[in-house]
Amino acid sequence: MFDFFGDIGSFIMAPLYWITSVILTGFHSLFGRLFGEESGWAWALSIVGLTLVIRAALIPLFVKQIKSSRNMQLLQPKVKELQKKYGHDRERLSRETMALYKETGTNPFASCLPILLQMPIFLALFRLLDQASKENPKGVLTLEQARQFGESTLFGAHIADTFLSTDDWNVRVLALVLVLAMTATTFLTQRQLMSKNMPADALTGPYAQQQKMLLYVLPLVFAVGGIAFPIGVLIYWTTSNLWTMGQQFYVIRNNPAPGTPAAAAKAERVAHKAARKGKPVQPIETDEAKPETEAPKPAPRQQPKKQTRSQRKSQRPRPQGNPGAASGETDSGAQQDPDVGDNPDDVPGGDPQKPGA
Amino acid sequence: MKYILIGLLRAYRFAISPLYGQVCRYHPSCSAYALEAVTVHGSIRGSWYAVRRLARCHPWAAGGYDPVPPSDNQHHQTRGA
Repeated sequence: MFDFFGDIGSFIMAPLYWITSVILTGFHSLFGRLFGEESGWAWALSIVGLTLVIRAALIPLFVKQIKSSRNMQLLQPKVKELQKKYGHDRERLSRETMALYKETGTNPFASCLPILLQMPIFLALFRLLDQASKENPKGVLTLEQARQFGESTLFGAHIADTFLSTDDWNVRVLALVLVLAMTATTFLTQRQLMSKNMPADALTGPYAQQQKMLLYVLPLVFAVGGIAFPIGVLIYWTTSNLWTMGQQFYVIRNNPAPGTPAAAAKAERVAHKAARKGKPVQPIETDEAKPETEAPKPAPRQQPKKQTRSQRKSQRPRPQGNPGAASGETDSGAQQDPDVGDNPDDVPGGDPQKPGA
Repeated sequence: MKYILIGLLRAYRFAISPLYGQVCRYHPSCSAYALEAVTVHGSIRGSWYAVRRLARCHPWAAGGYDPVPPSDNQHHQTRGA
């Protein structure tokens, strides 16, 4: 039984060892020349190189994801509608939201594929390093390379050692530093996402509560991983986290979720740029920017006033973004819009944009 | 076997899933789907469903609502494929 699973395992792992070891030794032939063949730095940087290659190879998936989430802004009113309708029922809400994404071909999520592809590489590196320290070369590693890899040290710590398997305080301190680094990067990534790229109303309620719980689970997971995995694997993990953080900063800057502080910041940048070039201000990208460019809306609803028909007509065409695309202040506008749009003659004063109001 | 798989999936959902936040393009997410599939259909058929779902979860897929198919003794509840 276990032989059977072992056979399947090595059948699956063989190509993974091959890929991982080819990339590793490729980088090592470069860094080995710079730092010396047996230098721990050469091997550690080769692991960093491996991470970068893997993450760079996943960029096409990332780009595809960005493209498929591009229309999120147009979808936002509908998402809001669903939130209003099913807000009390999270299961139903996420079901309906996902159905909407499918219907419109716009999905903000990255899919499970990137994780699915990275995990085996992570595992292969773990086994490669572990076996190398037992002088058992895998993939294209020669015995000599396996020995170097298994014995290489960074700041006096063997990169094949784990916190648990050693009494060496160099290893323990380095493992601790890497755990802290991973926790910090993931924490920053999460916080950036929550504070900049989520609408204010998503930050309350059970979902936000769950997100906050995660922030406490994360360090725990890293701590457990950090004492169980060898230094070399932690280097991979930390580098990968750094990459994720950078990638996220890029997304939040260039493709912010509509109705969030990040979206407002982007709109402001766009407006600044347009102003510098002396162009007229572009049609507004997010509703946050609206109050700056249009007359501020009076908060209380205006009572209808007597107007001539021509007066009303002249007010009708007004530039309209997508109502309700942002949270907060524009909600009032979104609620009043149907009045104005459906039967403008009945509620002449319903238009908050009325000059002189 | 079934309970080993369920344990592994639970562990994944507790420890590893939070690291990535929501990435799945479907509801229920791939790991929730796998957990339910294995619970309802057993380890072999359930794993097969889970593998097929994972294969579906890529950036070129539209995603959407994609529940675990009901087991045979619930067939009267199926509403088309």
